[in-house]
Amino acid sequence: MKPVTTYLDASERFESVRGRIGGTDRSAFALAALSAVVAFLVVSPMFWLLWRAGTVPPTEAYDLLVSSRTALITANSLALTAAVTLCSILIGVPLAVLTTRTDLPYPRLFTVVAALPLVIPSYIGAIAFVSMFGSGGEIDTLFGTTIPRVDGLRGAVFVITLYTYPYVFLTTRAALLSMDSSLVDAARTLDASRIEAFRRVTLPQIRPGIAAGALLAALYAISDFGTPAFMRATVFTSTIYWEFGGFNVEYAALLALQLVAIVAVILVIEAGIGRDEDASGGTGRGAEINLGHWKWPSMGAVLSIGVLTLVVPLVIFTSWLIRSVGDPIPSLEFQPGFALNSVYLALLAAFVACLFALPVAYYSGRTNSLLSRVLERATYVGFAVPGVVIGLALVFLGTRTLPSLYRQGVWLLVFAYVVRFLPQAVGTVRSSVLQIDEGVIEAARTLDAGPLDTFRRVTLPLIMPGVIAGGVLVFLTTMKELPMTLMLQPIGMDTLVIVIWNAQNALAYRYAALPAFILIVVSGLTMVVLLRQEGYDIT
Amino acid sequence: MRRATHARSNRRRFLLATGAAVAGVAPAGCVGENVDDDDAVDEGTDAEAGGEEGAGAVAEAEPLGEPLGSEPISWDDLGDLEGHLSIYSGRTPDQIDPVFEAIEDEYDGLTLNRNFADNDVQVNQIIEEGEATPADLMYSQDPGALGALEGAGTLQALPSDVVEVVPESFRHPDGTWTGVTGRTRSVMFNAERLAEETEFESGDDLPTDIQEYATDERLQGIISTRPNSGSFRAFIQAMVELEDEETTREWVRGMMEDQEAQLFSGGTDQAEAINRGGDDDPIVALGNSYYAARILNEDPDAPISVTFTENDAGCLFSVAGVGVMNQVEDPELLAEFVRHLFSIEAQELMMDANGEYPVIEGIDYVGELPNLDEINPPEFDISQFDMELQEAQALLDDEGMVV
Repeated sequence: MKPVTTYLDASERFESVRGRIGGTDRSAFALAALSAVVAFLVVSPMFWLLWRAGTVPPTEAYDLLVSSRTALITANSLALTAAVTLCSILIGVPLAVLTTRTDLPYPRLFTVVAALPLVIPSYIGAIAFVSMFGSGGEIDTLFGTTIPRVDGLRGAVFVITLYTYPYVFLTTRAALLSMDSSLVDAARTLDASRIEAFRRVTLPQIRPGIAAGALLAALYAISDFGTPAFMRATVFTSTIYWEFGGFNVEYAALLALQLVAIVAVILVIEAGIGRDEDASGGTGRGAEINLGHWKWPSMGAVLSIGVLTLVVPLVIFTSWLIRSVGDPIPSLEFQPGFALNSVYLALLAAFVACLFALPVAYYSGRTNSLLSRVLERATYVGFAVPGVVIGLALVFLGTRTLPSLYRQGVWLLVFAYVVRFLPQAVGTVRSSVLQIDEGVIEAARTLDAGPLDTFRRVTLPLIMPGVIAGGVLVFLTTMKELPMTLMLQPIGMDTLVIVIWNAQNALAYRYAALPAFILIVVSGLTMVVLLRQEGYDIT
Repeated sequence: MRRATHARSNRRRFLLATGAAVAGVAPAGCVGENVDDDDAVDEGTDAEAGGEEGAGAVAEAEPLGEPLGSEPISWDDLGDLEGHLSIYSGRTPDQIDPVFEAIEDEYDGLTLNRNFADNDVQVNQIIEEGEATPADLMYSQDPGALGALEGAGTLQALPSDVVEVVPESFRHPDGTWTGVTGRTRSVMFNAERLAEETEFESGDDLPTDIQEYATDERLQGIISTRPNSGSFRAFIQAMVELEDEETTREWVRGMMEDQEAQLFSGGTDQAEAINRGGDDDPIVALGNSYYAARILNEDPDAPISVTFTENDAGCLFSVAGVGVMNQVEDPELLAEFVRHLFSIEAQELMMDANGEYPVIEGIDYVGELPNLDEINPPEFDISQFDMELQEAQALLDDEGMVV
């Protein structure tokens, strides 16, 4: 009997191992399939663009694409994008280090302050900035001093950077939190200077994180319309809106496709920079950097950015509130429902985006194949296309697929947010996935945990900072989203930003004061709650 | 009227700041006197009927109360409104919501779902939505947008009594859209800076001929406009109509090359820049006067002010108006709602909220903007430009007046 038992035993074990390997194959396939489905869904609006652009007569399309104006706006857009990206890194990375690696007091407060500019639509920031500091502005009127004129491409770079560096800040911060910082201490004991340790140990580890944020800042800059328009910088989106305003949607679609082509190049270049560094390591907590004398200047730096981006708009709107003698405009009167709508939509968008991001980010982070990279890159395309174009594409697709549910409920709007903002979650989740130590997962698998179990109990907790950071990013950008919200909301479901926009349209900024204040406070509070999910990692 | 007191004080401030002469009661419809007889209207309704299910239904809907006639009537005499309506509005809430509010207050069973967005966004959206559009009615800032909707075949004919009371020049010949109220294009300026920094003493010294704005050297470097609005494109179309294309091109060239006009891509941005009066901001701007009115509503002492050219494209009289979508659930309700917009109450509310002029005969203009006789806008049919909107856009493209 004994040999038989041994035989059975061996065969059982063999089966079980084979089953596990088979299961891995199956789960890898399922992961690839899921990623493909997500990528297909978020790229679907591009089919509308192709179809619409296809109706432009070829000769006219050719003339438009090679015109000198197109060359000019391409050059301007690229310059804007490059400058915003660079400046965002220069602000975002030091802030991330400050709030995670040093003994800066109140790190959570400063994290929230440094991230919050993301909720203010940058053109609102631009209007407030010029009204405050520009020639003829408040400071000029009070003290007769003025700053050099902020406009054109330089003005756009300045303002967009102020409101997009949080992308880099948050993704870098997540990378710093996920990395094993005891490595830095090891380097220090080997006599490396702080700078050298940062350059040779920390930087390679957080590079995917920085790259993820920089890419988001770049794509935001290239797809922004409001701020360049206000600053009177002529960029790609200006021309798209010009054609849109002349009801030449097919030309707008054609130009949007050209923008996508340019962005595709950026995506490929970035894929090289943010390439799969195996940034894996433990999660040891290293020693904090002692700021010493730099404590106060550091706090001052974070606070002054907060003042510039958050307090200035509030002060400007409030000054209107105090000074105005205008008649009440009942339709602009604040209702608590606006805040609830904003938060509800933003939370929903953040949740769905994280859900969509997980398979794509995990697949591309764990499997370095062409397919996984293409699928991951594909999710970025929607972010580069101006919201009004994506909105119109979804109007078309929504009415053709589910006409009876069109503008009934928030599904289409939330989907629109996901199309635009998914890369914000994919980028941060993926850079966390890259930091996972392969050994930990293998250990779990040898302990007989199934793929799903391993993911739930080992991987997910490890990548949680990335998921949270992604969720926060999507939440904050959804809070300020305007064009798609206007097009796809269930009619009458107004949000805080819609009211601010209405107030600005009516030139009655006093009505923007309260919604802007609530936008900042509510977003700040929600961030605190979300950041708590990071647990001990935060402080 | 509930908001009459507020509105009256608005107008007073507006007037004080503009320094315009107090106009008496200006007869409405002093532009476009060519009130049409009934023939064209009937043709129009027939043309639109047939084919699509529901098309022509609004034109054929029996009035629920009295029909509109040569004498303006109160909305008390119109039929009751009951049910749900979805309105896509390119007009801003401050301009039009008081009217919607008042009508909704009037009827318990009425719900007006309002969707506000930029005019061009609304048009593009309705076209993409096709038959599934939830919109029953589009309230547009300008006729060009309604023309685009009409061109895309999304509108159906309005009731014949409505079409009959609106002068032909303020609506589509087939009655598929109609103007509801009108305003003229204007010249905005910063009164303080004009007196201190330019050779003009006051707004009265500014040219009254729009052509001079492109040639007068005193305006060099201090003038601006906003070329991407429907109103501006209509202005270009009107200049081509009134003068000719070459003159219009020269005007655009003069503005761009000689005057170095600053171009804005938002009407509010432009008005704010004029009002703010920074060193590099423009002092004089061509645009719609309601932007200045909004600033003056908030701050009566603001330096922004308004004047008008005389009898040329620069003071083009244009309308904001409505069109009804092909597919509507309740044609009677739509027809009756549109009638309400022409009631004495609604027209007066709109004069109050926007400083606009009525487009129908018999409604007294009670505002304090300059008399239309004084401005004397050119007389022609805004629904029938020789130049297509796309051509106007192409002209601006050619001459580089783009933002």
